[in-house]
Parts: sequence; C-alpha cells; structure tokens
Amino acid sequence: MTAHTATPHAAARDMEAPGVRIRDLTVVYKTPAGELPAVRGVDLTLAPGTITGVVGESGSGKSTLALSLLNAVQPPGRIAAGSVEIDGLGDVLTLRGEDLRRARGREVGYVFQAAQNSLNPLKTIGKQLLDLGRSHDVEDPRALVRDARDLLARMGMDGARVLDSYQHELSGGMRQRVGIMLALVLNAKVVVLDEPTTALDMITQATILRIIREVHEERALTTLVITHDVGAVAEVADDLAVMYGGRVVEHGPVTEVLGDARHPYTRGLIRAIPRLTGDLSLARALPGRPPTLGTLPAQGCVFRERCERRMDICETDDPAAVTHDGRTVACHATGRPLELVGREELV
Amino acid sequence: MTVIVNPAGPPAAPPAETTRATLRRNFWRGVWRVLRRKPSRMAGVVIVVLFALMGVAGPLLYPAQLPRDDNALYAPPSLAHPFGTDFEGTDVLALVITGARYVLLTGLATAVITVALGTVIGLFAGFHRGRWDTVLMRLTDMNLAIPGLPLLLVLSTVWKFESPLEMGLVLGVLGWGGIARAVRSQTLSLRERGFIEAARGLGLPTRHIVGRELLPSMAPYIAMNMLIAVTGAVYAQVGLFFLGVLPFESNNWGVMLNLAVFNGGALTTPAALPYLMAPLIAILLLTLGIVLIVDAMDEIFNPRLREE
Amino acid sequence: MITGTGISKTFRQRGGVLGAREVPALRDVDFAVERGGAVSFIGESGSGKTTLGRIIAGLETHDAGEIVIDGVPMSSLSHRRRQPYFRRVQLIHQDPYSALNPTRTIHQALEAPLALRARQTGRPRSWIDSRAQELLSMVGIDPGYVLPRYPHQLSGGMRQRVVIARALTMDPEVLVADEAVSMIDVSLRLGILALLKDLRERLGVGVLFITHDIATARYIGDDGELYVLYRGQVVERGATEKIIADPVHPYTQSLLSAIPVLHGLERPGAERVVPKEPQGEGRLGGCLFVPRCPFSTERCEQETPVLGRDGGPGQDTEQEQACFHPRRRSVIPVGVGE
Repeated sequence: MTAHTATPHAAARDMEAPGVRIRDLTVVYKTPAGELPAVRGVDLTLAPGTITGVVGESGSGKSTLALSLLNAVQPPGRIAAGSVEIDGLGDVLTLRGEDLRRARGREVGYVFQAAQNSLNPLKTIGKQLLDLGRSHDVEDPRALVRDARDLLARMGMDGARVLDSYQHELSGGMRQRVGIMLALVLNAKVVVLDEPTTALDMITQATILRIIREVHEERALTTLVITHDVGAVAEVADDLAVMYGGRVVEHGPVTEVLGDARHPYTRGLIRAIPRLTGDLSLARALPGRPPTLGTLPAQGCVFRERCERRMDICETDDPAAVTHDGRTVACHATGRPLELVGREELV
Repeated sequence: MTVIVNPAGPPAAPPAETTRATLRRNFWRGVWRVLRRKPSRMAGVVIVVLFALMGVAGPLLYPAQLPRDDNALYAPPSLAHPFGTDFEGTDVLALVITGARYVLLTGLATAVITVALGTVIGLFAGFHRGRWDTVLMRLTDMNLAIPGLPLLLVLSTVWKFESPLEMGLVLGVLGWGGIARAVRSQTLSLRERGFIEAARGLGLPTRHIVGRELLPSMAPYIAMNMLIAVTGAVYAQVGLFFLGVLPFESNNWGVMLNLAVFNGGALTTPAALPYLMAPLIAILLLTLGIVLIVDAMDEIFNPRLREE
Repeated sequence: MITGTGISKTFRQRGGVLGAREVPALRDVDFAVERGGAVSFIGESGSGKTTLGRIIAGLETHDAGEIVIDGVPMSSLSHRRRQPYFRRVQLIHQDPYSALNPTRTIHQALEAPLALRARQTGRPRSWIDSRAQELLSMVGIDPGYVLPRYPHQLSGGMRQRVVIARALTMDPEVLVADEAVSMIDVSLRLGILALLKDLRERLGVGVLFITHDIATARYIGDDGELYVLYRGQVVERGATEKIIADPVHPYTQSLLSAIPVLHGLERPGAERVVPKEPQGEGRLGGCLFVPRCPFSTERCEQETPVLGRDGGPGQDTEQEQACFHPRRRSVIPVGVGE
C-alpha cells in the first residue's frame, strides 16, 4: 500500500504499470429464455502502460466486460468462466469480500458511465472523497485531500473550490474530471473509464480526452476506455478492440485497425461514422440492427446477419480469433492471414 | 431510400377494429401471465375472489335471520361451528360471511370515490397548472387537514349510515386528498416527457392527451392506490363500528368485534376468543390478498414487463 | 417557408436572495428555412440551439423578433389561430425512447394524429390505416412488423424512424430535428441522416437540424446552410461545406478542432485551435467569445462584432461571420491518402 505522503507523481515513476490479461471470459445473464451470454469467450490483453479502447454498440457486451474487470457483475448477470489476471493482484475473479472491496479503488479505479450522475447530490465532493478514504482505511486524510487537490489542479480546476462544491454546482465536464480524480486518488494503477465522454460537448470532450491521455502517461497507468464512439477512442487509445454481440471481433493497434480494418463489422462501422472529410456518397449505415441478448444467434458468427462477406460456414461455425502480426481478427472471410488460407486450400 | 429494415414479420396490419380487439385479448392474456409468475399473486387472487364471492353470494346462503341456538352460547369451535358461536348461539362463520357484503361494498365505494376524485383533481391541477393548480391544491390541503375520525363521530350522531354506499361516500369524500397530491406530481413530471410534448406539437386535443397518453402511464399507480384505498376503508368502517358510534343495523365485522370485546369480554374470557378472532382473521386475510395483488400492478400496466 | 428575424429570448432564473438572474438564451437570431432546404444549427449545450428549435416548433415563446410561416407573421395572430401554422413545423426529439408512449402500440401512436388529420382534410377513416402503412414504408420500416408492436420491442433506430413517421402525419413543411441521432447506435446514424435527406428531396420538407456534432450536418445534404451559435448568438453562417472546409471564426475553428481524428485514416489539421477554459461569467459588451478566444485583442473587449462578410483589408469572406480578426486556419483532419 502506498503511503499518501509521497507525491503521486514520484510514486508513479517508481512503479511499473501492470498488465491485464483477460482469458476466455464468459458472462451470462439470466433471462426468461435461460442464461444468455452477454460476453462470450473473450481474450483480451492490455499491455502495461497502454490505453486500450473497447468500442461497441448497444448490446455488444462492452459495459459487462468493464464490470468484469472489477468482478462487479451484478445479478441477474454471472461470470460463468474465464479469468482476469492483473499484475500484482492475481486473478480478480477469485477475489471475494474484503479483498475484492479493497482492490476496487486501490488497484483498479473505475470512472462510471455518465460520471455526471454517479456523485452523491447531497454531499460535497470533499465529503465524498473523505468517505472514500475512510472506506479504504487511508491513514492520513490530509494527504488524501492534498493529492485530490493536486489532481484536480492538474486537470485545470481550482481544487479547493471543487472539493467544497456540490455536484449540481459543477458542469458536465467538471463532474467527469471529479470522477477521474476519485478513481485515481488512491493510486490505482489500472483505470477503467466507461463512456467517459458521452453527453459532453465537443470541446469539453476534447479536453477530457486530452486529460485522460496526459494523466495516463504521467501516472504510468494501464487504461481501458469503453465507448460507443470510435472517434473518442481513435483520439486517445493505443490499441483498439472492437466488440460485437459479446465477442471481440477485432483487436490491434488503433492506427492499423482504423487504417486497414479487417473485420467486416469494423469496416462497416468506420464507413458509418459521420466525418468532416471524405466522400459523402461512400458513407453508409450498416444494414440491420445491433443484436440484443435475445436475438443473438445460438451458433455461427454473431455478425453474419449484417455481414456483406457472409459465407455458408458463418451459419454454423463461430469464427475463432486468429492473431497475426499483432492483429487479432475473428472472421471466416478475412480473419486468416493469406498464407494460412492458401495452405489450407492446398490440403 | 426505402430499405426495409426488418422484412421478416407478419403481413400488413389488419383493420383498426380487429387490432383493438386483439390488443384487449393480449392485455388479458398478459395479466394472466403476470399473475401466474408468482404463486403469491395467485394466492392473492384466490383470496380476493373468495371474499368477492362472499360479498355477492354470502347473504344468499343463509336465511335472513340467522338461526340461534340458546343451548350453545359461546360454543367452542366444532365441525358444525368452525369458529364457534356468539352470545346468542349464532354461528360465527355465518356472521363473518354474511357480514362481508357491507364491509366490501363500503370498501369498494370508498376506493372508487377517492380514486375518481383524486385522479380528476390531481390531473387537472397538474396538467393546467397556474391558477387552477393553486385553487385545487388549496382544496386538497383542506381535505388533508380534515380530522376524519372526529368528524365521523359527529356525523354519526345525525346520520345512521344504513347503506354501505352512504358510508363509502363519506369515507371517499374525506379521503381523496393524498391521491390528488400524488397524481398531480406524477402529472407534472409526465407532462415534460417527450411523448406528451409530441402529442401537443401534433395538435392532439387535450381530451386525448389526458385520457390516452397520461392516464395509461399512471394506471399502475392509480390501480395500486385503489386497492390500498379498499383496505383503508375496511379499517376505517370496522373501527367505527367497533367503537360503537354507529347503530348496529346489520351484520358487520366491526359489530362482531365490538360485541366480542365489550359484551363477550373476549379479552379476558377465552370462550369468546373465537368470536373475536374470526372477523380479525377475515380483515387480515383480505388485506393480505390485496397486498399480494398490488405487487403485480407494475407489471400488468407496463407492456414491457407484461410481455416478457 | 419559415423565417425568423431578430429572435431573442431571455430566461429568468430564480436566484437566492438577490432575486431573479437573467440568462440570455438567444440574441437577435435571423434565419430562414426554405421548402426542401436544410439548415443546421451547431453549438454546445447552453448555446440556445434547443431553445431556438422549440420556439420554431411553437413549444416555447420568444421575447422579441418575428417568426413568419408561409408569409404570415405569427405576432399578428392570437394564440389559438397560431396553432395550425405551428403544426406545419414538427419537432423530432433527441430521445426516441421517451418520445413514444411506452403503453401504446405504434399503431395507436400513429392513429391518433392521423385521425385528426383525416378530420381536418375531410378524408374517410379508412384512409388512416393505409396512410400509416404508407408513412412507415416511407421512413424505411416494414409496417406489418412495426404497427402491432410496443416501443420497447423496437431498436433505437426504428423508434426514431417511427417518431419521424409520426411527425409526417401532419404533412409538415419543416422538420426540426434536435440532436436526432445522438442517442442512436453509431452504425445506424447515417441511416437516419440519409432518411432526412431523402425526405427533403421526395416530399420537399425543409429540415432544421440541431446538433453539437458538426460532422453530422454534412449528411442531411451538401447544399445545406450552417449556423454556428455561441451563447445565443450566430457567430458564423454560410454553406455547410464551405464553413467546414474553410471556417474563419475562432469558435467554429475550436468546434471543428475538437472533433476526434481517426488516426490511421486521417491526420489532424495543422492549426487546431484549443479554446481557453472560460474564467468567470464574462462581461457585458465586447465579443462574447473573448474569455475563451486565444486570438482576442483589446478591440474584441471593447466593441461587439456583428455578422458580416468583412474579412480584413480588401477581401470579403464567402460566409458571414462575427469576428474582428477572421482568419483561415487548417483545423480539420486531412485524409491520410490525400
């Protein structure tokens, strides 16, 4: 446990950012139609010190994945299989009770979706900060407040004033920064941000994204950003994972995934983003609609109903995620590198 | 751009009349599904149906003048008299069953009147706001401030409440304030919702907006209040009869309680205990049945919860 | 055709002991939406764009200025006589989830306004059902599938299409689309935008598009006009493509700079403008953008700029703008291939 007397920056520099390895994670939700998987067989590695963006539409399972990192999936959801290994902490999914509670906040910081609503409207920010400190047995509350003030100042705010404020006295962008401060003030090394820019204006969004990037680098964090907005991820992340129907269908360095998307869903998604440049006539929406738990196909590829590259095998076989050249793709049509496809066809 | 987003689906919709009938059928099917979802709800339904049957058919099962048996005053429970007999040797179960009608009718009348008055006043105040709101809410405040029991005591000196409907009318007129308040605040928040604003933007008449858009959204709430008003009214009138401020014109659970305690000394003599317990159990069961059903109201009136 | 001149609106907030505080939402805004035209209002929250949409749809009053619908000034009519005119302007809400009554089927949602329309136009009741099917097909959804269903059974994109179909029941001349795609799944947004464009072309409906995301404004038609609103004032106005390609007002440039760059597909513009964090409320007089403007001078604090084409000595800007120091800056991303 880090002493709160050291400045967070100094502490951060001494420490190595932890890696996170999600293996074969499956989360099911109990519905009248039985247990249905919201996240299915997901493998995802967050390299130490990187920002990974997870992009997905409604029903992609991205928020469930984020909650799994804290082992915080609530009933009717249940983590059915898999492991989430965090360096220095072990498999989060085996943690129980006090250990788990301690890990949340201390080791893994979580900035909730729409942080604007996750603050208590009846307490000042400072009071909520002290509550957080108490629940994690922080010995020196003064140092905690000082760290919080430094963090807020780092994000361009008047720390003392913000700590004395109530939630309603802060703008959306300020609340989001307070959320980030609360997630980082206990020196968590892994940070999960769930939809950090939803409902923010463009300029505020740009500011928040810049802050995320800077704080990430200064404090040597491993960061996971969950969002529906490809643009937000493109601006801030090193790696990009694309989720669809509970599966990670593509994963790789952000410039490569955007510049040369391989999965048909990723391609369609990029083509569907309203952009400032580019030919209007080439842009088009993806046909069909995102799946829900109830409409997910029981077998075969989850994306096949909206896919332009669909083949017979997609009906029956779920494509495995194949990693090649640092890029992971789960698609029968485009996932396998050419040389492998060639060899198989020869056999 | 005429991409048909979902080509799979039933053929073109049938004419309006049949869809309306289908909707109604689907609604009742949904209600049945919701009730079956939990055994407790079915238990509630069974209890309430039993009481309703008691209220409707109870007095028909027995002669107008219940038989007395002078040889069995305060008889203990037996096969012939499951809850024993009273001070005149009349079967207690028969008294409970024949007494149900007055109690239930009063409860029902009260509930209908409180809910109707409360909903109309609350809707009107919330929807029109402004001056109407001020006037109606002051009226509501006054209604809430009326001390019910003392007023009833005074009233009972001049009014004998021979019919359960009269009783219900008085209880209803005294009790609508709370519902009006709650319905008003619901209306105020609902009228800011997108679909109400859209209806106004489309120029739909107020009649439609209030009756077709606002009311259905508040239906679970109103239904719950109505059911709870029934229990409230049962307590109130049984209490009045128990206190003995109303004349004993007919069989009534409150009358039974009064006689058991003040004549039979049920609190000290074990012999009169079944006489006291029977109406109490009836009231408890009725309340329980209603509470168990109230639990289903949200799901019944919300299409999403109903269909799933 | 609907025009507005000098539209102003001030909200009075109840504030503590010192009494009411006045918050100007719109300052002297002029606009015109033509038949089949496309006009976009861009701005952040608090820019007054939503208030303007509500005023145009007749859901909100304004303090000063005149709205003219089909040549009839609204101030000349009583409240009651105004309603039929405002019915020709239909508002599409941002949130398709709250815009449909959860307790009513799509059939019921369309039937009520169509019955009203049938009465107004003297059509038989049998017209209602066929019109409902026609409208749903027009917005690109299968009437047979959608009509008997409740809103919760439809996806966000489908709901928004139903909301548009419902607005079309009144045969409107203008649709006011307030952030109409911000709550729709990303992969489906372009579908809704393309639908609005299609309705312009097919029905001659004018579209007034309100958004905080400049990029979406391109997709309702490249012939559209763009208005940039800052704190209730129009600071730049002109052809959409022109303003996106060549913005001159620092605020417009800030907005465009803030749009995320799809690294891998495009490179950031060379002169991205990052506005300052506003300190305090700002003063009376002078340019409203001064507290955040990186380029402001003394003149900006003294005088108030007005919309015009003056682009410095000897040259005019193509669009109208309200800045004393208009200057082109390359702020938008450049495609990697270009």
